[in-house]
Amino acid sequence: MNNPIKIVIALMVLLLPGALKAQTKFSISGTIKDKKTGEALIGATVKVADKPAIGTATNEYGFYSLTLPAGTYKLLVEYVGYKQQELQVSPDKKSGFDVALVPEETQLNAVTISSKVNMVTSAQMGMEKLDIKEINAVPVIFGERDVLKTIQLLPGVQSVSDGNSGFYVRGGAADQNLILLDDAVVYNPSHLLGFFSTFNSDAIKDVTLYKGTAPAQFGGRLSSVLDVKMNDGNDQSYHVSGGIGLIASKLEVEGPIQKDEGSFLVTARRTYADVFLKLSHDTTLKKSSLYFYDLNAKLNYKLGKKDRIYLSGYFGQDDLGLGGLFGLNYGNATGTLRWNHIFNDKLFSNTSLIYSDYDYNIGINTGGISANIQSIIRDWNLKEELEYFANPSNSIRFGFSSVYHTIEPGNITGTGITNSTQPDNHSLENAVYITDSWKASSRLNVDYGIRVSAFSVMGGANLYDLNPDGTVRDTIHAGNGQIEQTYVVPEPRVSASYTLNDVSSLKLGYARNAQYMHLISNSTTTNPTDKWVGSDNNIKPEIADQGTLGYFHSFKNDDYELSAETYFKYMQHQIDYRDGANVFDNTPLDSKLLYGDGRSYGLELYFKKKVGKFTGWISYTLSRSEIQMLGVNNNNWYASRQDHTHDFSVVGIYKLNKKWTVSSDFVFYTGGAATFPSGKYEVNGQTVFYYTSRDGYRMPNYNRLDLSFTKQLKPHKKYTSELVYSLYNAYGRENPYIINFRQDPNDASKTQAVQYSLFRWVPSISYNFKF
Amino acid sequence: MSLHKTTNFFLLIVLLAAFSACKKVIKVDLNSSLARYVVQGNVTDVAGTYTVTITKTINFDQDNIFPAVSGAMVVITDATAGVTDTLAETLPGNYTTHVLVGTPGHTYKLYVNAANNVFTATSTMPPLVTLDSLYTKPSPFGGSHPQLVPVYTDPALVGVHYHYYHFMEYKNDTASDNVIVRNDALINGRVVNQPIGGDQLSPGDSVAVYLECIDSSVYQYYSTLQQTNNQNSATPANPLTNLTGGALGYFSAHTSSVKSLIVRP
Repeated sequence: MNNPIKIVIALMVLLLPGALKAQTKFSISGTIKDKKTGEALIGATVKVADKPAIGTATNEYGFYSLTLPAGTYKLLVEYVGYKQQELQVSPDKKSGFDVALVPEETQLNAVTISSKVNMVTSAQMGMEKLDIKEINAVPVIFGERDVLKTIQLLPGVQSVSDGNSGFYVRGGAADQNLILLDDAVVYNPSHLLGFFSTFNSDAIKDVTLYKGTAPAQFGGRLSSVLDVKMNDGNDQSYHVSGGIGLIASKLEVEGPIQKDEGSFLVTARRTYADVFLKLSHDTTLKKSSLYFYDLNAKLNYKLGKKDRIYLSGYFGQDDLGLGGLFGLNYGNATGTLRWNHIFNDKLFSNTSLIYSDYDYNIGINTGGISANIQSIIRDWNLKEELEYFANPSNSIRFGFSSVYHTIEPGNITGTGITNSTQPDNHSLENAVYITDSWKASSRLNVDYGIRVSAFSVMGGANLYDLNPDGTVRDTIHAGNGQIEQTYVVPEPRVSASYTLNDVSSLKLGYARNAQYMHLISNSTTTNPTDKWVGSDNNIKPEIADQGTLGYFHSFKNDDYELSAETYFKYMQHQIDYRDGANVFDNTPLDSKLLYGDGRSYGLELYFKKKVGKFTGWISYTLSRSEIQMLGVNNNNWYASRQDHTHDFSVVGIYKLNKKWTVSSDFVFYTGGAATFPSGKYEVNGQTVFYYTSRDGYRMPNYNRLDLSFTKQLKPHKKYTSELVYSLYNAYGRENPYIINFRQDPNDASKTQAVQYSLFRWVPSISYNFKF
Repeated sequence: MSLHKTTNFFLLIVLLAAFSACKKVIKVDLNSSLARYVVQGNVTDVAGTYTVTITKTINFDQDNIFPAVSGAMVVITDATAGVTDTLAETLPGNYTTHVLVGTPGHTYKLYVNAANNVFTATSTMPPLVTLDSLYTKPSPFGGSHPQLVPVYTDPALVGVHYHYYHFMEYKNDTASDNVIVRNDALINGRVVNQPIGGDQLSPGDSVAVYLECIDSSVYQYYSTLQQTNNQNSATPANPLTNLTGGALGYFSAHTSSVKSLIVRP
């Protein structure tokens, strides 16, 4: 582990001389926020009025730093959807660089959907930013606005299944997405079997998706990073907003703790789907419970001019029950304590202590047996990041993160049974990183850096030495606190943009990502009881290398944006189940797994209209993703479940007039690989289906159209409200959810295939208000 | 306890019922497959003859007429007693023993040679566990279909010497399509009165339940057969067999204990 640290230090030393040359220059720094709400604005730009090439943008906390040659300047502060503001600076001016921008009148006919980052000049590739306004305008199932379902409409991102919030990015599995809420890992991002995301869109400020090309401060998953930031809360005045829908209702309260100094925000949401179950004729369903709730809360407070403290938390719980006989509860809890400190105009520090927890509980009460199965994954994470705005051409981020993972693998306890418990698994995931955004010339921008991650398997739980067929040869046991094995993976990341002219650029990138925590799943969709496991002596860290090449073009003063990106990704040490593995018995999980490699490549086209009465985008992805598992399909490469050759989506939002907004989306994709039987035989008088290969068939193609109509109701003095009518799957296409094979109930000599589909014409209505 | 099955079953009913799922029979273009041998053999502790059946697989869209494999050489050896029995083909594809007597604790070896394809398997008959009683009780979900409860006492053994059970349920002389297996990992040494989830029962039905003590490899076969039949894994696969040589099916030496009843209104 010594060497990588030396490399990082050497890199830092190499970068510093640039900073030392700045004698004849001066630096300013400040924060940019929304004047009405006090929310820090992420990605707002500050640039010199007559030399727009010189400028910077605010970071995740609204902080910016700018170094200029000695002189007097007029700076322009800009942010999409806000009025431009000017700022006079000179070397002798020492303060007054904080800016509060005023939002443009929302009553305008035009809707502006954002792209806060200039995608032409930015070196970053494979990144998508979504604005909450955008997310709110896209029609979704049950009328419940949803971040995770909206990103599925972007190029390179695919839905796990109909109506599901699980997603695949560039051919990677669903567990290869790092989903962060205020920097805390959310292990299960969905509610109610995947149909709702854990993110209440009312509480969210910013959503950024990196498709395997994230900067070095992110790590731990192969395919993507979804970085979700919660709102800070209004530090100017108190507000209440909420929504009442057919299936869920929510409420948000925010306001200042002390004006301009601190604020709070609390949101709560609960579904009442089980009310509908009571109406059912089925006696089993009548006795069922089926609901979830979640809470988001955030506090922030300024401690003087240079320090700010944030405390944010999330708690969500699902409750599924079957008349006291069977119960399944599961939920995430996260907490983030953060301290922002401004050392000086050039050095910004962010220290976080992060907690994250996911657990599930299965209760069974039948035949004199009352059993409870509990499984927990819990992380404590200490993170430090420093941002050093070295000079006008270099801004450097460096830091470390140290995570302590605890996994309770699934203890079975109860009455009438013999308890079965296993020792907890502990592991330590550490990383150091450094990355530099370098403006090499007026045409060339380069982001380059390295992350060195290390994963240590701690003693306490059993490790297994396995035979090639998966049976246990030997059991290894080390004491608590001992380190049994450490993996170190250097993860270099680089991406560069070369501006061809004012409106177009070419980009090139390479990134390596390592993943040490794996979700072992054998279900067709996201299942709350799928197991998270850490790497050990058998489960090697997953490693992905991805190369990307892209072309970006903007038209008509940046009103339109076009991008084309190609990627090639190679993934090592992918994991799958052996045939017939039983997930729930307490025998060693390692012995039920198979390992192999994956590869994925594709072309992503994206065209977006960002301004005007009519906005929206078209996205098309042509891709292939394959895996090769030792012991499956004669060790040949085969299409993975994530392989959807064509994936096409269109989103349109049209503002008819002051009252009405109409929006629609259309989705088409090639059905994913699936396993179907190729024959049948008879055993004990029963027909059994005969399988010849894994994932050798295809599900039928998927397509769907959704519509949504939003009516702005007459605003009162302080009270605004809207009604949203939406229709999911407007032309009632029966998209297959599963295909099963069975004996023909009417003809004993025949067998047949049966398709189950879930959602046809799902109408919904919801009422949203704010005062 | 098959918790996994319970969870998936629950998720499925919620999904399919709560969202008023649509279900329709569709045509799926399935590949044809090379025919494979299917061997099924049982030796029990019940006196009489024991049968080995040999058939072949067919394509999915063919009628359910499974070709019998005739002219095979089938031998079962009681390795514990040192008795070898060469089976006679009594019906096409059905091979029957002459002298073998199934005894708990004995290990049996199967040898099959069909057109120079050799399949072998070994199975050891576990000690006998008898069914103490069989009764029905009202379903906790309500409704008129009662639950079926076979009662037996699991022998207490210290350590990881699991007992494995397979239930065969017959309703009005027809075998249930549900595969029901259990082990005693969590119920070692207890009186077990958990209901079994077989066919839906109505008053007047005549029901018989066989409790079979099976060995671990046969348990693995039945529990993976259950997964294959349930089709709720992302990658369904063939059950894990104890036969070597590439045949589907199983060879099981097991005990058998039966109780029956007629469902009362």
